[in-house]
Amino acid sequence: MNTMNEKIEAMLEKVQKAPRYTGGEMNTQVKKWEEAPLHFVFCFPDTYEVGMSHLGIKILTGLINDQPWSLCERCFMPWVDMMALMKQEQVPLFSLESRRPLKDFDVVGFTLMYEMSYTNVLAMLEMGGIPIERKEREEADPIVVAGGGCASNPEPISDFIDAFMIGAGEEVMLEVNQVILERKQQGLSREECLKRLAQVEGVYVPALYDAEYHEDGTLKSFAPNCPEAPARVVKRYVDNFDQAYFPTKLAVPYTEVVFDRITLEIMRGCTRGCRFCQAGMLYRPVRERSLETLVKQAETLVEATGYEEISLSSLSSGDYTCLPELIRELMRRMKEKRVSISLPSLRIDSVLKESLEETQQVKKSSLTFAPEAGTQRLRDVINKGVTEEDLIEKARDAFQGGWSSIKLYFMDGLPTETYEDLDGIADLAQKVVAEYFKVPKGERAKGLRVTVSCSTFVPKPHTPFQWAAQDTIPVINDKQEHLREVLKIKGVTFNWHAPHLSYLEACFSRGDRRIGRVLKRAYERGCMLDGWNDQFKFEEWMAAFVDCGLDPAFYANRVRDKDEILPWDFLDCGITKEFLWREKEKSDRAEVTKDCRLGCNACGIQRIKGLCAYADPKRNKAPSPSLVPYASEGGEG
Amino acid sequence: MRMLGVFEKNERVRHIGHLDIQRAVQRGLRRSGLPVAYSNGFNPHILVTFASALSTGAAGKREIMDVKMAEQVTEQEFLSRMNAAMPPEMQLSSARGVEDKHPALMASLKAGMYEIILREEVQAEQLIPAIDKMMAQEEIQVPRKTKSGIKDVNMKPLIYALRGEGQKIFATLMLTERESCKPAMIIEGLKRAAGLPEEEEVRTLVIRTQLLGERQPGELIPLEEL
Repeated sequence: MNTMNEKIEAMLEKVQKAPRYTGGEMNTQVKKWEEAPLHFVFCFPDTYEVGMSHLGIKILTGLINDQPWSLCERCFMPWVDMMALMKQEQVPLFSLESRRPLKDFDVVGFTLMYEMSYTNVLAMLEMGGIPIERKEREEADPIVVAGGGCASNPEPISDFIDAFMIGAGEEVMLEVNQVILERKQQGLSREECLKRLAQVEGVYVPALYDAEYHEDGTLKSFAPNCPEAPARVVKRYVDNFDQAYFPTKLAVPYTEVVFDRITLEIMRGCTRGCRFCQAGMLYRPVRERSLETLVKQAETLVEATGYEEISLSSLSSGDYTCLPELIRELMRRMKEKRVSISLPSLRIDSVLKESLEETQQVKKSSLTFAPEAGTQRLRDVINKGVTEEDLIEKARDAFQGGWSSIKLYFMDGLPTETYEDLDGIADLAQKVVAEYFKVPKGERAKGLRVTVSCSTFVPKPHTPFQWAAQDTIPVINDKQEHLREVLKIKGVTFNWHAPHLSYLEACFSRGDRRIGRVLKRAYERGCMLDGWNDQFKFEEWMAAFVDCGLDPAFYANRVRDKDEILPWDFLDCGITKEFLWREKEKSDRAEVTKDCRLGCNACGIQRIKGLCAYADPKRNKAPSPSLVPYASEGGEG
Repeated sequence: MRMLGVFEKNERVRHIGHLDIQRAVQRGLRRSGLPVAYSNGFNPHILVTFASALSTGAAGKREIMDVKMAEQVTEQEFLSRMNAAMPPEMQLSSARGVEDKHPALMASLKAGMYEIILREEVQAEQLIPAIDKMMAQEEIQVPRKTKSGIKDVNMKPLIYALRGEGQKIFATLMLTERESCKPAMIIEGLKRAAGLPEEEEVRTLVIRTQLLGERQPGELIPLEEL
């Protein structure tokens, strides 16, 4: 231990950004190793700066540390300079707090936020002294668990993870830890432990399921191979969102991280039903935190952290029922403390004029709108219920209110997209610019800046586009070239990304079990930190596909049949496949679906009694017998 | 009034750079709830300055923050509220209230006291005995990076005191806005005096133990007491 510590100290003197590895931040708890019987290490498969911007890690480490029987330390993906030194000095990947190698913990937990962090999971396991493949792990090895948004299709990474937690981590995490503590205290075998984990609601243990394939590569069957594993894994919901666990002491990093501020989650879920949006489908139903709870949380956190900014976060903050009241109340209480309030992810049809005026009273940042598509037809296809008039009106309000900087988010490669839709993006940008110049010169803020950002559409599981093909790379390249041409507008900046990363994301977001081999092969070929432009090695990835005899186009560019068994079909994430198919067909006809608040659309959540405030139980006529709704005592799901 | 707070930057956080230390102190002040003064403008910040920036990688035993207060507070209150608000790695050991017209710390700063720990015993055995030899020289030439490239400078007039013991070097070195001597320069000078090759890496842990001001010419006292 001592020599390892000395080695680490020597390494820290050589690396850039040593504070990534030293911990000791304000409000981080360090429990004594002997103090708690269960040792958990929370692994974030990206760098410290990315990981410490993530609210989930703070919630879950706080939750686990608050239990007298468990402690939670943290570990992040080291940067390449540190990795090279660790290899050279033969220092295993260690936790920030006690500097123990990952293999010394009972549970190693990964959060899966995006597909392109999967190679980092493999790297962290190997560096931490744990066999990469779950099949090769022995009795003494930790149980490797994972959760987070990407667990909604766990298959591509299922060769490497012992158990997945589907849905709200706040609920299932402690139950999983209890089982693993039982293993430790009763000396259960690894196999027995995994079987017990499979019986925890919302847990998927890949070793207990087998997949068979047709000759064309599509799934023939997917079923449990033992009686302990349920045929369908039902995701977990937060019992009472308003009162859900929230850490009162948020860690405050010393070094600047990506989001260095307080994040208040004001609402979970969204009623809009945008068809491309996986979060909007997965985090149903919509649940709001009460104004009282939020104001209390804000005050507690400001006091505990000393942060100078609070951002309100949710999928659609503009839909929060009492948004103007909330902002006004937060402003009133925070003004003296010089804390500013920012509102990300604004939808353009929210009632915001009043709120906008209040926001700038403290600090003026740029406003973000997400029309997503350039024409009304395409916005109808994706069910983005906003109109051009909405956007223009909001832009006008903003410019008249003294704002000069607006960001517009779009996607390219959406299903049915044509060049007319792309021209629509330029047309919208042009109209926004025109609104700025309509405000008299003396009254408007100087320095017009309209930023158009375009990302490449990735079809995601559990969305109506889960059957759709992604555009091929050459097609996307041509479309982006066209956008660069038409967006040469004075006052407009155009941001885009080469489509290669999105292409791989499409492969892995809808991948099956077999694609895990490609993941391992790519890792062996040196792919790591793929989310970082300077580290991304597309050719190696393509070579890995060839090595494994799999075709990336099968995953990314193929239209699926209605009857095809999809790799994630065994997960019940609330919404039903029937609803998604209905939405897909409406999308084909460019037909919109109403906001849930205007009436129940029978997405599947209505099967679960008392969970959704807008559910119409009458629409719950024929639930599939295989779909066992999860209900808790409180009735809130 | 202004409050001079003496704080530690302990070994665990020695890799934190000066800008980040500044921000950590600002946030600590915010958490403390003390009545601090803010600057005006769109991004108001707390009016706090530091006697001297401590390099990344170095620890500090008695660094000084200089905080402008909006209201009178007692030294005890400042101390206890700040210590409740700062992480264990950055605790305060004393505080002193001064009037607004008290001279700026940066301008009064004359020297810094350092403890330089040599990580390798073998190197210590060569470098420590070289101290006397080096100090006996008329001039001590060491390479220093300047705008026009690396140039030798005579650091002898910048050294107030220098002695060694075991694997430790204790140094009092000039530290002013105009001129200063860095602990790394001492190591370079000792390498030359001991006949070690220039490219040999000497691993050290630098701890700044005290900042010093001048009561009267030649009399150095702790800066916070000036």
